[in-house]
Amino acid sequence: MNDQVTISPTTLSLNLTINGQAHALEIEPRVTLLDALRERLHLTGTKKGCDQGQCGACTVHVDGERVLACLTLAAQVEGRSITTIEGLAGQDGTLHAVQAAFLDQDAFQCGYCTPGQIMSAVACIREGHAGSDEEIREYMAGNLCRCGAYPHIVAAIRQAAQELRS
Amino acid sequence: MTVHDMKHAASDSARLEAVGGRLSRVDGPAKITGAAKYAFEQQLDGLTHAVLVGATIAAGKVTAIDARAAETAPGVLAVLTPDNIMELKGASDWLGNPPSQPTYAPLVREVTFSGQHVAAVVAETFEQAVAAAALVKVWYDETPAIVDLSDGKAGDGIPIDAMTKEWGDAEAAFAEAPVRICAAYNTPREFQAAMEPHGLIARWEGDELTIWEPSQWLDGMARTYAEWFSVPFENVRLVSPYVGGGFGSKAVALAHSAVAAAAARMLDRPVKLVLTRPQNFTSYGGRAATRQTVAIGADRDGKIQSIVHRGVNETAVDGTWVEPLGSVTSIMYATPNFSSKQNVVRVNTVVPGAKRAPGENPSAFGIESAIDELAYELGIDPLEMRLINYAEQDPHAKKAWSTRQLREAFAAGAEAFGWAKRSNAPRSMRDGHQLIGWGVAAGTYPVRRAHGEAVVKLLSDGSVEVESSSIDMGQGTYTILAQTAAETLGVPVERVSVKLGDSHFARAGVTGGSRLAGVMTGAVHKAAGQALDELIGLALSEPRSPFQKLQANTLQVRDGRIASPRGEGPDLSIADFMVAIGRDQIEAKGDTLPASTTPEERYKNYTTIAMSIPHTEGDYSRHSWCAHFVEVRIDEDFGTVRVARVVSALDSGRLYNPKLAESQWKGGIIMGIGQALLEEGVVDRRHGRIVNGNFADYMLPTNADIPDIQTISVGIPDPHSSALGGKGVGELAIVGIAPAIANAVFHATGKRVRDLPITLEKLI
Repeated sequence: MNDQVTISPTTLSLNLTINGQAHALEIEPRVTLLDALRERLHLTGTKKGCDQGQCGACTVHVDGERVLACLTLAAQVEGRSITTIEGLAGQDGTLHAVQAAFLDQDAFQCGYCTPGQIMSAVACIREGHAGSDEEIREYMAGNLCRCGAYPHIVAAIRQAAQELRS
Repeated sequence: MTVHDMKHAASDSARLEAVGGRLSRVDGPAKITGAAKYAFEQQLDGLTHAVLVGATIAAGKVTAIDARAAETAPGVLAVLTPDNIMELKGASDWLGNPPSQPTYAPLVREVTFSGQHVAAVVAETFEQAVAAAALVKVWYDETPAIVDLSDGKAGDGIPIDAMTKEWGDAEAAFAEAPVRICAAYNTPREFQAAMEPHGLIARWEGDELTIWEPSQWLDGMARTYAEWFSVPFENVRLVSPYVGGGFGSKAVALAHSAVAAAAARMLDRPVKLVLTRPQNFTSYGGRAATRQTVAIGADRDGKIQSIVHRGVNETAVDGTWVEPLGSVTSIMYATPNFSSKQNVVRVNTVVPGAKRAPGENPSAFGIESAIDELAYELGIDPLEMRLINYAEQDPHAKKAWSTRQLREAFAAGAEAFGWAKRSNAPRSMRDGHQLIGWGVAAGTYPVRRAHGEAVVKLLSDGSVEVESSSIDMGQGTYTILAQTAAETLGVPVERVSVKLGDSHFARAGVTGGSRLAGVMTGAVHKAAGQALDELIGLALSEPRSPFQKLQANTLQVRDGRIASPRGEGPDLSIADFMVAIGRDQIEAKGDTLPASTTPEERYKNYTTIAMSIPHTEGDYSRHSWCAHFVEVRIDEDFGTVRVARVVSALDSGRLYNPKLAESQWKGGIIMGIGQALLEEGVVDRRHGRIVNGNFADYMLPTNADIPDIQTISVGIPDPHSSALGGKGVGELAIVGIAPAIANAVFHATGKRVRDLPITLEKLI
């Protein structure tokens, strides 16, 4: 509420590597990774549920680790490898084991939290946190699902973790 | 007159793709790959972004708005205020009642609740709009607000006579009953909290308005926009291909919707406006806070003689929402005497709205807690208590149930749960420092029926398209309509594509009250049947048809191939047949309305809920039923409650797709666990603000809160409830979960918590 505030029109030239592809962006420094993906690059698979780091719907991977894109500025991830839900399946469209298990177990309903759940699940397995149902529940607790698909999400991750181990 | 063979439907019923098969969601691949574009994810040239400014008082006047700093901020195209926003006309309500005011102001000068929209900033980018919105200065003349039901200024409220249900002499019978219990039960303000926020993109092209908005009711919302902007209904197109959860909240066009559409009109640019998460707690109504007293008088053998029920729900200063609190109370148990009355109390809140099982949900918390209290008063097992008072017919409507598999639900649930091993005394079961409680409660939801319309097209390549303006918010509409069309036409389900979520498709009423599946499977079944009739009619009579020489009475279609039922003559794919007779497509539009229905009645049917068919119409009373069995484990020292397992047996009639129905049931149970243990909108007493309007402070259940859940279907096809025998699925399972947990908590601790949520300070 301060009318002395001035807003700098300065923009940054950024190069982001998303799903193995380079993207050049001319954006203000305050643009989050989430809004860069959704509004500038039209990669809308990554969802905005709360925009304040509380729901997990915007989960993406940065250098393989799960990150909340709403709490990450686009400028922070230049030069790093970003993976979104659109980049998870194989080049030929083969679903990742976690994606296939989500479909198989009906681990979603409305689908809005689903990309974040899947990105979190892939990392959860990779981190070695899918050893038991209890562990999966704990390490997936940062991804809210209002449709209440939790038991099926646990089943899907259990199934995918087994497939990925074998 | 063509006769077509429908025998394939029965013989194929075990197949995955048939109605009743466990087909995976057909919209699943799009959702798990990120390809599914939700309504406000559409990319439009020249898109602008709007951000709202909300009132920081709950009651009073906006005395001045200084928008100069915002207007000159980079990228800003307009700052809308009550002074400069275009005038909108009042719109009729969802019953079709004419507007109470001739005009409608979505940005207000007179504030009646905290967070109410007072201004909006439109800019080239989202970041610019957010920054500029913070520069808008608003001055108020604040007056004292009625913050909630417990506010001294709230009063007793306004009687809602339409809610009164009475038979016998309830007060006298209660006074004379040898055993009496009477208690008050409260539920707090709760929120739908769909993961996809509310929002929209609005674009005008001349007098034609396109709205991309998550919606549970395209036709109803299109009507509202048409009335606000005084354009013909046909000029408004609502698009909502996927809906990221609604739970009752996305069925009507709201003030922010009007702001976005007005801004788009004023700027002649498409405008995107998405509510922030905190704004999702104040821009539309969640479930109203409720207060109930339930008094039950009974014989010493447990037979109920009288139920006296009084209820109150909060509503807004400038709008009335009635949460029907006597809905379960009046039908769950047999009683010769009954009285239920309800008031609404005006407080400074946004008008409350529908949240999963509005009415039935809090109603069940009252009666299903009270019956448990009566059971303990008499030393009778709570499950036995329910069977003693089993209602063999609808006690209120005095009609036979269409189907009521509640006794079967109690039996199946008790068996799977191991209820027989329960010891009835409170605090009698434990595991180390954990107190164990086993609770039971029943739930119900009426079968809401309506009429629907669908278009089914058989295309020249043998594929099928189904079109409807109904929507899929996760219940599985895409999937069950594909299954219905596939089964009816005799084509493989992968050849069926279902198109939903466009108000220019065949019309549909509201997706709410668990009515859509019954309505739309009926409409698609009818339209597909008409298409099949036409296909077989052409095969029998069209001169170019290879079947014409057969002189057959009928033909059958299986796996996309046309043949004689006796296997003689040609056997042709639909595609080859269409080529043979030179047809591009066969299109059928089917609806379930009587043929005499006028265009005006059709419009009313799809754009209002005024033509819904009562669930007690004719000879039957139609409801879904369920019985929940819950185990809680409570830390004796700290009072922390964990739900350890849930077994629910449910009667939703015939299931169109059990895989998806089970998901919805579990979702309802999980939302019920949140209601029982976590969820409560907390209002600041000075300024009437929701202080926990975000996902960190308004606690939803997380994965770590949810145990294994077993659901058991005990339903049987109910021909009185829908064309294909289903009843309701989505609303049912939340009803009764909170009392089952409260009853389990009592069993574990001996403490009866009658005020949700059951947080640890209420137990220690």
